Amino acid sequence: MTYRWNFGPVWENADVLLRGAFGTLRLFAICALAGLLLGLLIGLARHSPRAWLRWPATAFVEFFRNTPVLVQILWFYFALPILAPFEISPLAAAALGISLNSAAFTAEIVRGGIASIDRGQWEAARALGMTGAQAMRRIVLPQALRRMLPALTNRGIEIFKMSTLASAVAYVELLQQGKLLASLNFNPIETYTVIAVIFFLCLLPLVQATYWLERRLGRADA
Amino acid sequence: MHRWDFGPVWAHADLLLLGLWHTLQVTGTALAFGIPLGLALALARLSPRRLLRWPAGAVIEVFRTTPPLVQLFWFFFALPILIDVEMTPFVAAALTFSIQSAAFFAEVFRGGIVSVERGQWEAGRALGMTARQVMRRVVLPQAVKRMLPAFLERAIELMKTTTLVATISYADLLFQANEVAQKTFRPLEVFTVAALLYFVVIYGASLLAQAFERRLAVSGEGMQR
Repeated sequence: MTYRWNFGPVWENADVLLRGAFGTLRLFAICALAGLLLGLLIGLARHSPRAWLRWPATAFVEFFRNTPVLVQILWFYFALPILAPFEISPLAAAALGISLNSAAFTAEIVRGGIASIDRGQWEAARALGMTGAQAMRRIVLPQALRRMLPALTNRGIEIFKMSTLASAVAYVELLQQGKLLASLNFNPIETYTVIAVIFFLCLLPLVQATYWLERRLGRADA
Repeated sequence: MHRWDFGPVWAHADLLLLGLWHTLQVTGTALAFGIPLGLALALARLSPRRLLRWPAGAVIEVFRTTPPLVQLFWFFFALPILIDVEMTPFVAAALTFSIQSAAFFAEVFRGGIVSVERGQWEAGRALGMTARQVMRRVVLPQAVKRMLPAFLERAIELMKTTTLVATISYADLLFQANEVAQKTFRPLEVFTVAALLYFVVIYGASLLAQAFERRLAVSGEGMQR
């Protein structure tokens, strides 16, 4: 059986997909920013000598790393509104789920990056009279961030891919718009193929950049 | 203030457990097909023949850089039109997650194989083995041992990804939770219990993986990550 591909209806509705792409980018921007910043804070908290900072941070990381992100999104969408006195929009539910999930994974990257820095760097900074916080900010973190860069760009790619899960709560993003088009025009093949190609083309440069970073840092460290 | 009531959840515990069973089924099927396929992809990608290397590289990159949910929709809604088959949610899920996890497993395999020192290859060849024999007898056994931590991590990641099948109405734990929530009007309790169920299973699996990793590290065979 041969199928006659017809991309006409997809192009005619390019504006629908464009709106979706805008939604995807907006969600990605929110989650990447919130996830990375929160992840940095939690990663630092896990490294803190104070138990009341370390323990909640560890619990947070373990919980969000060990539950599926789609469950988190649906929990925020269906369960949280019962506890919270305010409306939770699809964007808020998706952003909360994806941001907190990425924060947990980012925190682990930050912890690993800090742990990878030689003890001597700490000792030298302390010997120069810096406090623990100063040594962290001026000496350790700048070096650690450089090493974490490939892992962080990988996280970014994951966040971009995760943004499609927002379609489960009917947030207007690329896949959600694709679903709409496919059911209106009865052309799931062309629509979903175009969606897949769009994601592939958006992410390919990021993936290549990550490979490049890994190679470069690998050489610099050797 | 909301009054928590878990009664309706316990009344439907059988539905949730059935969902959990289905989740494990999809995960198991995807692992059973994904691991051999991943090994084949990795070997093809490392092959000296371009005819094997390029298609394998393309499959790996495409499945690693597109969102799994898009892949799932493509296999569920689009594929049945191209090839004349009856597509059930289970088949679509098994197909998608097998290929998707194979792409990730291929990279784990490749990393493991590449990490084996060149000397092992040379020694194997010097003993008169063909390249294929060296791979099977000398390199792969060592590589597999080093890959285990990354491997277990991927398997756990896969179980989390299987929640996506709920969006094409396969009765996994998440889908069942949604059904029960609608039936009982208790979304808070139902989704909380579902999240905890996932946590217990997945956290248990990661603890086992960590214990296993420590044992490998003690025997000096673990890979530094």
